[in-house]
Amino acid sequence: MMKIGPETPVPASSGRLRRHARLGTACSTILAAFLCSNGLATAQNRDSVTVCQTLEPTILDPTASAAAAIREVTYANIFEGLVGFDRNSKLVPRLAESWQASPDGMKYTFKLRAGAAFHDGTPVTSADVKFSFDRAGAPDSKNPQKWIFEPIGAVAAPAPDTVEITLKTYAADFLEGLAWGDAIILSEKSVAKAATEPVGTGPYRFVRWNRGDRLVLERNDAWWGGKASIKSATFRFIADPQAQVSAMLSGDCDAFTNIGAPEAVDQLKKDGRLVVTIGSTEGETILAMNNAKAPLSDIRVRKAIAMAVDRKLVNEGAISGFGTPIGSHFSPNHPAYIDLTGEVKFDTKAAKALLAEAGLANGFKVSLRLPPPAYARRGGEIIAAMLAEIGITAEIEPVEWPQWLERVFRNKDFDLTVISHVEPMDLNIYARDGYYFGYSSPELKAAVAATKTARSEAERKAAFEAAQRQIARDQVNAFLFMLPKITVAKKGLTGMWPSWPMPANPLAELKWE
Amino acid sequence: MRRALSHPSFMIGLVLTGFIVTIALLSLFWTPHDPGKMQILQRLRPPSVQFWLGTDQFGRDIASMLMVGARNALLVGIVAVGIGFVVGMMLGVFAAQHEGSLLDEILMRLLDFTFAFPAVLSAILILTFLGPGVVNAVIAIGIYSVPIFARLARGAALQVFSRDFIRAARLAGCSRLSILRRHVLPNIAGLMIVQASLQFSLAILAEAGLSYLGIGTQPPNPSWGRMLFDAQTYMARAPLVAVFPGVAIAMAALAFNLLGDGLRDLLDPRLKER
Repeated sequence: MMKIGPETPVPASSGRLRRHARLGTACSTILAAFLCSNGLATAQNRDSVTVCQTLEPTILDPTASAAAAIREVTYANIFEGLVGFDRNSKLVPRLAESWQASPDGMKYTFKLRAGAAFHDGTPVTSADVKFSFDRAGAPDSKNPQKWIFEPIGAVAAPAPDTVEITLKTYAADFLEGLAWGDAIILSEKSVAKAATEPVGTGPYRFVRWNRGDRLVLERNDAWWGGKASIKSATFRFIADPQAQVSAMLSGDCDAFTNIGAPEAVDQLKKDGRLVVTIGSTEGETILAMNNAKAPLSDIRVRKAIAMAVDRKLVNEGAISGFGTPIGSHFSPNHPAYIDLTGEVKFDTKAAKALLAEAGLANGFKVSLRLPPPAYARRGGEIIAAMLAEIGITAEIEPVEWPQWLERVFRNKDFDLTVISHVEPMDLNIYARDGYYFGYSSPELKAAVAATKTARSEAERKAAFEAAQRQIARDQVNAFLFMLPKITVAKKGLTGMWPSWPMPANPLAELKWE
Repeated sequence: MRRALSHPSFMIGLVLTGFIVTIALLSLFWTPHDPGKMQILQRLRPPSVQFWLGTDQFGRDIASMLMVGARNALLVGIVAVGIGFVVGMMLGVFAAQHEGSLLDEILMRLLDFTFAFPAVLSAILILTFLGPGVVNAVIAIGIYSVPIFARLARGAALQVFSRDFIRAARLAGCSRLSILRRHVLPNIAGLMIVQASLQFSLAILAEAGLSYLGIGTQPPNPSWGRMLFDAQTYMARAPLVAVFPGVAIAMAALAFNLLGDGLRDLLDPRLKER
């Protein structure tokens, strides 16, 4: 979409020739105005920022829904936990000023920050922490990451600024779990409205939400961490990748958290007003397979499919090669990562032979359900063509997100799907019974359990490595690549997270220069 | 015949239609490349000797895809218009036979009701019930062209029914069916064929539109509308990729429109004397 500059009136009295000349200058003025307008706009609005992202949250309460979009808006902005992750996935104190673990790792004592308060003015006390964790761990809790709270035996509030958590089972990742967006501290008073009018403790307070368009936040001047630099912040939601690019080029957005059009990176880079940063996410993008359904229940068939898919070309064709190839369900950003991309080599002939061995020499038909993002739709089309090479007919069916969640994720009504699992450290999904992959392996369950019971870093690392290997060996899914984070920001706006250890856009770190 | 040759829009339409049909038929036996073959490292190439019209975002040959896409468009047009033509004509003639009866009223009001919705919108509506896919798209396009044919057939048949030779045939003891077959249908056929040709271009546009929206022809089957949609993403990098399917759609729509206009002029008895 072109932005059209203001029309410059041409005096009617001027002659034809002069009018042409004037039109020429008028045009160049318009052009100049167009080129400068964004610079001017930013100069005027140093006190506000418009951050755009692809998906709109369905609700704003991260303790009630798993949608990443909720965290992208609320994490470290509206809501905070006792601890949090920073941009380098380092654990940092948030509402807890400090903490201590007992030598056996079964008891944690948190000291709450003095001056931390909810947006309605009530101070954050240990009672709020107890309420939040008891609620999240309750049997009827809707919290999407219940594993965080499962090890908790009891939460005690001996003093208003002291919380004692006693574990009933040891969990090496307990503290890490508390840094997730699902372990935020809510007040009993306002929890009922958390979904639509959230009251948190973070540096920004909720102002209003125009569904389908934008969500407006305002700086919380009473934040324990001091005042954020920018007064007013707006999240805008633009689903269409082309519209995202246009919104950046026209200056409607000050920043785009992760632009959905990798093919437009060159074009955006050429624009001197913008800065493009390519980072990484924790989004393991996979060709998920229904392990419970024949013929995909046969490991030879799954292996053949994995062999037939050239992840390098899928990466290139779907997201312009910005992804990082993976061979198992684990992020290369993690210290325990091992490179398993060589486990299955792209080899059409060997894939065909495997299929023949499985008694499917003549190929077969599968469905391939594709959710809306470009990596899935485009990647799926490429994968379908690759599978056709070994005689597998993948019938592509594009689905919208609600349909995907309903049919694929909940009802497991699928053969193949392309999807990115964006949560950090989500290897444990392979150990969950009834998860949509339909995979169940005692070895993997043992390995995942070992990551929890590990008493030392080395032990934990070994357990993670074993789990990665197990998943790769069982070829649960075909592993493709980690999704990139393509951040675009106006020149002068600093502080956007270049990578996503978790989906989050802490606005307090943004600054106009 | 001579009149046909000297009718410019008819001739242009005929040539263009012939071209599209030839290409579509040719694609059954030969295309420059395999239209489904992806050469991702060769993606978004400009036209060259190797790739006549360049390659798309997956490195597929656009010329080959357009050829197969022509087949797709024609097939959709033929089947969808066929459904509308046959069902619409039957309903229309049936209604005309029972003119003024309650049945006629109900039938025509029902058709008016479907007619009230914009064509592509009603197709989208139907597709949300049937699910996406080219077969369902054809059905949807077919359904929404039913009322157009039905109204036309009813009007034309009413005219024929009021003519003296029908009365004569009735008096002569001809059966209803034979009157229909020997007198009514041949007399309304011309009109219906003209409408079919015009409807054909609408059907091609509708299929392209539905595929553009992602609910028509599904990949990997090439469709002009889908090609246009896919190319849109790469407009900044390779604008030509969008131009070719656009031209193809415009050309096909123009071809059948011109053909229909020409046919109307040629078949119109009032224009015969001129």
